[in-house]
Amino acid sequence: MPKITYVQQDGVAVTADALPLMTLMETALMGGVDGIVGTCGGICSCATCHVWVDGEWADRLAPPGAEEADMIEGLAHRRPESRLGCQVPVNEALDGLVVRVPPAE
Amino acid sequence: MLDYDPFDYALHDDPYATYRRLRDEAPVFHNRKFDFWALSRYDDCLAAVRNFGVFSSAQGTTLEPIKAEVPTLINADPPIHTKMRHLIAGMFTPAKVAVLEESVRELARELLAPHRDSGRIDIITDFAAKLPMAIICRLLGFPKADEDMLRGLTDAVVHRDEGVFEMPDEGMHASYALYGYFAEDMKRRAGAAPRDDIIATLMAAEAAGDLTHEEVLGYIFILSIAGNETTTKLIGNMIYQLHRHPDQLAILRAEPDLLPSAIEETMRFDGPTQMMARTTTRDVDLHGRTIPAGAKVALLFTCANRDDRKYDRAEIYDVRRNPRDHLGFGGGLHACLGAALARLEARVAMEELLAMMGRFAVDESALQRMHSPQVRGFTHVPVEFGGAA
Repeated sequence: MPKITYVQQDGVAVTADALPLMTLMETALMGGVDGIVGTCGGICSCATCHVWVDGEWADRLAPPGAEEADMIEGLAHRRPESRLGCQVPVNEALDGLVVRVPPAE
Repeated sequence: MLDYDPFDYALHDDPYATYRRLRDEAPVFHNRKFDFWALSRYDDCLAAVRNFGVFSSAQGTTLEPIKAEVPTLINADPPIHTKMRHLIAGMFTPAKVAVLEESVRELARELLAPHRDSGRIDIITDFAAKLPMAIICRLLGFPKADEDMLRGLTDAVVHRDEGVFEMPDEGMHASYALYGYFAEDMKRRAGAAPRDDIIATLMAAEAAGDLTHEEVLGYIFILSIAGNETTTKLIGNMIYQLHRHPDQLAILRAEPDLLPSAIEETMRFDGPTQMMARTTTRDVDLHGRTIPAGAKVALLFTCANRDDRKYDRAEIYDVRRNPRDHLGFGGGLHACLGAALARLEARVAMEELLAMMGRFAVDESALQRMHSPQVRGFTHVPVEFGGAA
């Protein structure tokens, strides 16, 4: 199972194991990551699973779709490396991925 | 003495005073009669829906035992839940459901047309009970002629007799009738040209070995129930709250762009889904009490939504509030899959209702309530309307 590490706003790094088919948001909930809420459960409508994915990892992900990009557009803490965790499926190739959790909106 | 008994009809009339006492006096409440626990504060309910490892859905999300034992989306934890939810979650994003707006509006206008000149309408029976089932039938590909029958059955599934801690026989019979109907529908499809809809997607998953036949039936069952009851009750509760808060109705009339915010506020303040249950997988220590492993725990969402530890003036209905983080749709992995569709239906329904009715008044003496430990709302909301707003 791929391991994903989430660096929370308090600096603590939480590592969680993804189960098959999970997204970055669902994996974060598995690990009890602070700052990733997932209010809408993954229908791309709340943006409470916002993460920053740094350069080299970002290139390994499929780029955001139009809906995800629209939601990110409305975020105060958006950056070029912003993603919505619920729209990023985890697979074996992402084992070891480190993402950062932005401040709450 | 402080008691929370969701099977007591008296609580359904006004649960909010009880809810306030639970939050303040017994945030970890134990109901001895039925042996379940209840969490009532926002932070506790949010933590519980996020922590599915400890607050499991696998033993069902009702307090009473489930009678029709079929695996379903809402009664599962990861990884089973993950597999089921991802099959169709992509069909329920706001952009995907947005294309339904014209259909929803057409159906809404069709339903309102016979009442337009009469000055009277029952918001529930004439309109709100019919609209969501019409949409879900369209999504699932069921014939229009079957709508009333299907709605009767799904209503029977959620009804509970007063003081009785289990699904009545009628509910069980209705469940089996629905499963029979869905199985027949799938048989008919098997011989016909493939369609591009939800049931076709689920049948393809069955063919690929990702879902069993029973899981497909359970999935359709949940979609038909969830898509019907709750949206109906949201529309009824919203008309009632606007009637009770004329100042808020006036604000909404003056600034129609506030409608989405007003819908979120109605979900927060008087949302249809009052409570969902979980089962603990280990002992949970909270606020000085210990909930034992294997206990049923009621998460009181609408109670949590009025927690003044979370919201300013939490017991005030304020259409400007736009509380996007309320628990009216639940939260975490099981957050309402159809939330974007519910928001769309509620917005279009309210636009059409408010445009048609102008000035309106609910006949409070003729209001009737449904009775369910989990869903709060009316079965009759008679309204008289007419004249400029």
